[in-house]
Formats: sequence, C-alpha cells, structure tokens
Amino acid sequence: MTGKRIQWTVLDVVVVAFALIPVLWLTSLSLKDPATIGDGNFLPSSWTFENYVNVFTDGAFLRPLVNSIGIALSATLIAIVLGTFAAYAIARLDFPGRNLMLGAALLVAMFPQVSLVTPLFNIERSLGLFNTWPGLILPYVTFALPLTIYTMSTFFREIPWELEKAAKMDGASSFQAFRKVIVPLATPGVVTAAVLAFIQSWNDFLFAISLTSTERSRTAPAAISFFTGSSQFADPTGSVSAAAVIVTIPIVIFVLIFQRRIVSGLTAGAVKG
Amino acid sequence: MTAKGDVKSAERRLGWLLCAPAVVFMLLVAAYPIAYSVMLSFKRYDLRFPDEQGWVGFENYATVLTNQFWWDAFFVTVFITVVSVAIELVLGMGLAVVMHRTLVGRGLIRTVVLIPYGIVTVVAAFGWFYAWTPGTGWLAGMLPEGSAPLTEHWPALFIIILAEVWKTTPFMALLLLAGLALVPDELHRAAAMDGAGRWKRFVRITLPLMRPAIAVALLFRTLDAFRIYDNIYILTNGAQDTGSVSILTYTNLVSGLNLGIGSTMSVLIFITVAIIAFVFVKLLNTGAPGSGGRR
Amino acid sequence: MSRLVCGGIAAAGLAGLLTGCGGEGGGVVVNLYNAPQENLGKIVERCNELADGEYRIVLNTLPRDADSQREQLVRRLAAGDEGMDVLGLDVTWTAELASAEWIEPWPDDLRRQAEEGVLEAPLKTATYEGELYAAPYNTNVQLLWYRSDLMPEPAETWRELIDTAERLAAEDRPHYVEVTGAQYEGLVVWFNSMIESAGGSILNEAGDKVELGEPAVTAMEEIRDFSRSAAADPSLSNTQEDQARLAMESGVAFAQVNWPFVYASMVANEPGIAEDFEWAPYPGIDGPGRSPLGGANFGISSYSANKAASFDAALCLRDEESQLMAAVNDGLPPTIESVYDDPQMAEAYPMRDAILAALETAAPRPVTPVYQNVSTVTSALLSPPASIDPEPTAQAMRDQLVQALESRGVLP
Repeated sequence: MTGKRIQWTVLDVVVVAFALIPVLWLTSLSLKDPATIGDGNFLPSSWTFENYVNVFTDGAFLRPLVNSIGIALSATLIAIVLGTFAAYAIARLDFPGRNLMLGAALLVAMFPQVSLVTPLFNIERSLGLFNTWPGLILPYVTFALPLTIYTMSTFFREIPWELEKAAKMDGASSFQAFRKVIVPLATPGVVTAAVLAFIQSWNDFLFAISLTSTERSRTAPAAISFFTGSSQFADPTGSVSAAAVIVTIPIVIFVLIFQRRIVSGLTAGAVKG
Repeated sequence: MTAKGDVKSAERRLGWLLCAPAVVFMLLVAAYPIAYSVMLSFKRYDLRFPDEQGWVGFENYATVLTNQFWWDAFFVTVFITVVSVAIELVLGMGLAVVMHRTLVGRGLIRTVVLIPYGIVTVVAAFGWFYAWTPGTGWLAGMLPEGSAPLTEHWPALFIIILAEVWKTTPFMALLLLAGLALVPDELHRAAAMDGAGRWKRFVRITLPLMRPAIAVALLFRTLDAFRIYDNIYILTNGAQDTGSVSILTYTNLVSGLNLGIGSTMSVLIFITVAIIAFVFVKLLNTGAPGSGGRR
Repeated sequence: MSRLVCGGIAAAGLAGLLTGCGGEGGGVVVNLYNAPQENLGKIVERCNELADGEYRIVLNTLPRDADSQREQLVRRLAAGDEGMDVLGLDVTWTAELASAEWIEPWPDDLRRQAEEGVLEAPLKTATYEGELYAAPYNTNVQLLWYRSDLMPEPAETWRELIDTAERLAAEDRPHYVEVTGAQYEGLVVWFNSMIESAGGSILNEAGDKVELGEPAVTAMEEIRDFSRSAAADPSLSNTQEDQARLAMESGVAFAQVNWPFVYASMVANEPGIAEDFEWAPYPGIDGPGRSPLGGANFGISSYSANKAASFDAALCLRDEESQLMAAVNDGLPPTIESVYDDPQMAEAYPMRDAILAALETAAPRPVTPVYQNVSTVTSALLSPPASIDPEPTAQAMRDQLVQALESRGVLP
C-alpha cells in the first residue's frame, strides 16, 4: 500500500511541477530587481517588490484592472442569463430550429476572430460603442454564448425533470418545485459555464487591443502591452511579469473556490453531449 | 386544431422566445461581420488604394491559393496542430488518469491542473518568451552556451508547441476525465480476475469505452489549435517561418490594410475548420457504437 | 463605478490617470495620441498651463511597438474617427497617412513656425511631396557603442568589427557585436543603412520604383558575412533594440549599434562596464557608414474637430522647452538645433556632437505610401540574416517589392 502511495506521490509531484513551474518563473521574474533581471537564474538573487509598486504607482494598471473585472463579470452575467434561456429551451423543449441553433453557435465559435476585428470596429464606431465597456462586453458575450449554451444544455439534459412533477404532486407550488428541486440540480452546470465564460472574457487580448483606445475601457491584458520601460526601446520585463502575476491571481482564486464545480461540471457536460 | 397541437405550438413559441436573445447577440456581433468578410473576399479592397476598389470574382482566392507564403503558413499550422494535439492527447490522458485515480492529494492535483487552463494566454506566452531568451531565461541558460532557440525554425516551432501544450493539456485532461468516469469499475475488476494486466485492461476496456470522449476532446482542441495566434504573436511573431494562417491573415488584414486578401484568408481558414469539424463529427457518429443510440 | 475609481485615484495622487477622467472645466479638448514616453505627461502639463484654458490636451498612450501603434491609428483614421487630434507619428508613416489624406498639411504660417531652426534630416521625414505634414518632435540616429577596454580604437567598417571579434574570440573574451537582426523593422533599418552606405537605395527618390541592384548585393553580402562570423550573437535573428542593450550590459558583447538610449541605461545598470563604454560613428562598408535615421513627429488628424487648437497644441508640444524636457527626461534627441547647446544637454547627452554629425549623413528609409508592405517584404526576405544568398535574395526582393508597391499579392 505504501509503495502505491509513493508511486502516486511521485506522479503528483510531476504533475504539480508541470503546471506550476512556468507560473513560478513569472513570479520570480517579477520579484527580481532591474539590475538582475537579465541574470537568467530561476530564483531571484535579491528580492524586491519594486516592480509591483511601479505597476500601481505609475497609474497605468489600476484602471485597466478595474475595467477587466467589471467587463468580464458583466459579460459573464449576461452570457449566463441568455445562455440559460437558450440551453433550457434546447434541452427541454421540442421546437424546429433547435439543431440550427446549435449549428449557428458552433459556427460562431469556429470563425477566426482575427477577421472579425475590422467589421466589428466599424459597427462599434457608428454605434458609439467603441472604447466603452459595452463595446467589449458585446463581443465577449457573443463568444461566451456558444460555450455556455453547449455546457449548460448537455448538463440540463441530464437533470431528472420528473422530480419536479413529483414534487408538485406532493403539494409543492410550481415555483417551490423549481426552487427546491431544479435549482440545486442545475446550479453546478450554471457555475461551470459561468467560470468558463469568465476565464474566456478575462483572457481576451485581440478584441481588447482593437476595440479600446484609452484607460476608459482598456483591459489588463491589453494594458500590459502598453507598459513602458525606462526608455522608448526598453522592454519593461519586470513590470510585465509583475502585471502578469497580478492578472493571474483572480484566476487562481476562482480555481480554488470552484475547482470541484469546474471539474464535475466539465466532466458531466462535455462527453454526454 | 387539437389541444395537443396547441401545446406543441406553445412549446415551439417558448423555445424560440428563449433562444431569441442569444440569437440576436450572435447575429449582431458575429453573423454580420462574417457575411461582410465573405463579401470583401470577392473584392479588391485595399484601404490605401480607395480608387481601385471593385468586384474581382475569385481573383483573391487564386492569388492566395497560388501563393507560397500561404501554403508555408498552412503547413506550419497543420504541423503545429497535429503535433500539439497528439502530445496533448497522450499527456492529457496521463493527467486524467492521475486526476481520476491518485490516492494522494486528489483535490490539490485537480486544482493545480486548472491553473494553466485559466491563465491568460498572452501572459503565459510572455513567461515562455523570457524563459527561452538567452541571458534572461532559465531555460535558455540550461542550453549549451550560445544557443538561441527562438531564432531557429525547428526549436522555435518546438517552443510554440510547448507553450500550446502546456496551456491546453489541462483542458484536454478534463474532457478525458469525463470519459474515464464513465468506465465502470466492475469491468476492470472482472478483467483483472481473468488475468488481464494493467496495460491490457487500459487498451481493451478503457480506450474503447472512452472513444466518444476522445473524439470530442480532439475535435475541440483541433478547431482551436488550427486558429493559433496569441502564442506565436508573442514568441516569434511569425519569424523563422513559424507564422500560422491566423498570423498571416492578421498581417494582410490589419497591418497591410488589404481587406480583400485578408478576408479571403479568413474565409479559407473558416472553410478548413468547418471541414475538420465535419470529418470529426462523421467519425464520431459512425465510429462509436452506442453513442448514436443515446439520443 | 468609474467615477468612484477616478475619485479614488485622484485622492491617491496619480496624476497620470487624471486626464482620462475628464471632468473639470469646459473648453476645447485636444486628444493627443502618442507612443509610450515616460515623462510626456509633464510636457503636456506645461502646454496646458501655457494654453491657459483655451484648450486642454489629453494624453492617450499607444501600444509599445511601432506596428501596433500604426495599426490603432490607421484603423481609426480609416473609419473617420473624430476622437483623435494630435498624432505622434513614426518617421516612416508620413507618406502613408499623407497620401490617404488622413493628416492635414500644415498651412504656411504655421509651417514656418514648425520648421524654424529644425535640422534638415528630421525635417525631411515630416515632409511629403513638398508639403509639411507633421511638426518634427524628436529625431534619432544609431551610433556604434563599444567597450574601449576590448576595442581601443573604434572600428570604422563592419569588416573591422568582424576582425576584432575574431581576435577577441581567439583570446576567449567577449566577442559579440549586437545589432537588430530580428524579423521586424529593425532588420530593415540595418539593411537600409547598409545599402545606402554602399551607395544605393531600396526605392528611388520618388518611392515608386525598386532600385536595389549591385549595392543591394553588396549590402546583403556584408550582412551575411557578419551574421556568420564570430561577431554575431547566436540570438542575432531574434535581437531587437532592447535585447541588444541587455546583451551588452550582461557583458557578452564588445560593441553594439543602437540608439542613444543605451547610454543612460548602461550608466545606471552596469557602472563597471560604463567606465569604458564609448561611442563612435556608425560603421560602414569602405569607410564610415550612414546611420539609420529614426524619430517622431506630430501630425494633425484630418478628422479632428478642433484643428486650430490642435495645430497650436502640436507647436507647443515640440517647442524648444518641450524638446529639452524630452531629451533630458526621456533621452529623445531634439530636432531643433539650438536645443543641443543648452547646458543641461551636456550631462544627459555627452554624445550630442556625434549625434549631430551622424544626422548630416543619416540614411532615411524609403518614402512611399505602402512603406508597411515594403518593410514587411524586406524583413521577411532577409530573415534569418545568416541564410541570405545575395544574388537570388536580391532578385526575389525585387520581384516582391514590385508587387508590394501596388499592394497586390500576399504579404509574408
């Protein structure tokens, strides 16, 4: 038995190393001072929080961080609400155009996003949405929708809806039946979809850089590419890695909170569809 | 009309109503630009030559399809896609088995594995870029003196694939984990009693039962990998002949302002991706016994 | 939400962000779009004080690399965006934006003010077909930076650099010469300087015909020989300006060709090496070479709603005082000659005479509305520099440049 445990422990260590070493490297880079940033050691020889202080004091990162959080959360919320409607319809109702709907969603998910930049820019310009929060929320919702609809509809399909009827027969009102029976069963699927939608919106770079022009709506990943070094040509390696670490923190928090949900949601949803 | 018919049409109406908001969003933000791109692909449309705009039929397609840069990028993309998805499948399967069966720290493993999946691609790419830059990077420092892997074709391609594999293997593993969970333990136990070894049981029992899961995971990842952009953009920006079709499209569309040629490339990528999806779905439906009957 | 954030930031005293929050006062707003420059905010502040409420300049920062800057500007100009007024333009964009009528030619009286006392080389970069399209702001030339402890006498030619490198390699001492060999604008800058040093050019004067020819072959031979020699850093084909700076600071190189920003950085980061860190004219083929010419100018968007105020603001942003601030705080070489005589310059710019001398012969890049295409094709064909095969590469370059000038075909 202990032999087996050791075996698994070794495998675990390999997996953890695989997943974390690149993240640790960025963290270590962000803690190096400018003079040793080029020394090529995995660990910093002298530690400093200077890069973090710089990232926040020169004012170019706080606002984008707020934008990122606000935009990603809004987009997630809208995508979940709309996606739940559509997923429920697809999973539960029989209506023509159901497969068309799924097909259309797949189509949207397949088109190269690079080619949507120019037309989207023109549309947003004429609607006055360029460089606003809605201007980014709009595409993020759109590209989160296929994912949320897929994840949730497969999930909803597995819910034993008969339970609702049974509850009603036992004297519960429709709303009670829905709230007490269906909601708890559906929540994991919704949470999974929400986390996936959030990660997707949080990660976007292409739209963020193309559809914003000032701090008003620029998100964190785009802002990182605007960092300046001490001169025009200097790479701000330290600030970039510090900002990179900051941007990663919310993801780590999400993963810590929702780990069980994401894994069970994805594993329940993905294959049975 | 019967009452049953009324119920049917009410259900239909509700179905459409519930889907409408999502459809409106997708039409507004995606369908129009897609249609617009298709239209531009039949035009000469260069923003710096506004006087020369006009319909050219399939000329743009002929230009792109006979161009060496396009085919170079195309095969680079195919190479990256095939190699990285293949590696991801193997590693992802291993990861899924560990996540599924480990006796030690299962929660920890499942949490840690999600971090590469969640991390911003551009951020991860910066990490790899710095790691492989001679002088700054710890990985470059381990190579023999004087090597600069990002400056040579094959090493650079290898690093792009590494970055891609690191970022997306967890996703692959999660999809495979779903399939693993479906394999009943009793089958394994029965086979073990018959004296089948671990490897034999994996190949004979687990793999066949996981076929749908594998196909779905492969489909998702292949579609995504074929459009690879962020990693290459940061790591080489297409230098050393490592540009993918998306990079080439961006160069022509956004930097070169040649909307006609750029849109043609977008449409070609779209068609390729659609063909891949179609083939996978066909294989999935015919190849997996039992999966057809479920719905 | 956003107001809350603005308040919080204002309270924390982060002046840089305040501008983005709008608010106080009415009047005309002039939106300035510029490449990241650490202390540009101070210059903007000064000009806002001088404007005394007549208008207020709001600074918007573009991405770090020149290609992304251009993409942002061009995308918005093509859409007729009225939200941009003063544009910080790289010297290579003038022709493209001017011929598309996206930036305004300067009217005569303002033109005279913008040109007064300006050095000839930078002035030319702001001019297209006889009109002034932008007010020169800063210029830039590359110089040869070397360690006098390893190379007592600066090399005059690339050949001498290779010889020195071979000698140093034999002695097992730092033997690389850093140069921007990555597949991007920097490689074009290098090649353009080489072909001009060889007495040729990439395009003709009018920018509508391909020249190349024998000087191109010579330039390619020089680049290839260098890239295969002991002087070439193994990372050559991924080196941009900053990697070159870092490599030299890390001690592996005895020389680099680069912009003057490397000097202040060396003094700050590696005082040990800085003691022997010196500069010399850009190396050439048979004698001293022609330095690459860079820099930035201020243009006025044709879609600006406040052109009068924008011209006025641009003039202030580039006046002597502003240029001095840019030079001292951010290391950007001035375009107005008299600024070089300021006592503050002596400390920040010990190499100012070398810059002025290099400007006399500096090699401007081709002037054409499709410069982006020309640049993309050129850098793609020359990368990686060690695998250049001069004759066929020159022929392929000619073929593709002809197509690129008409913007036909596919860009690599």
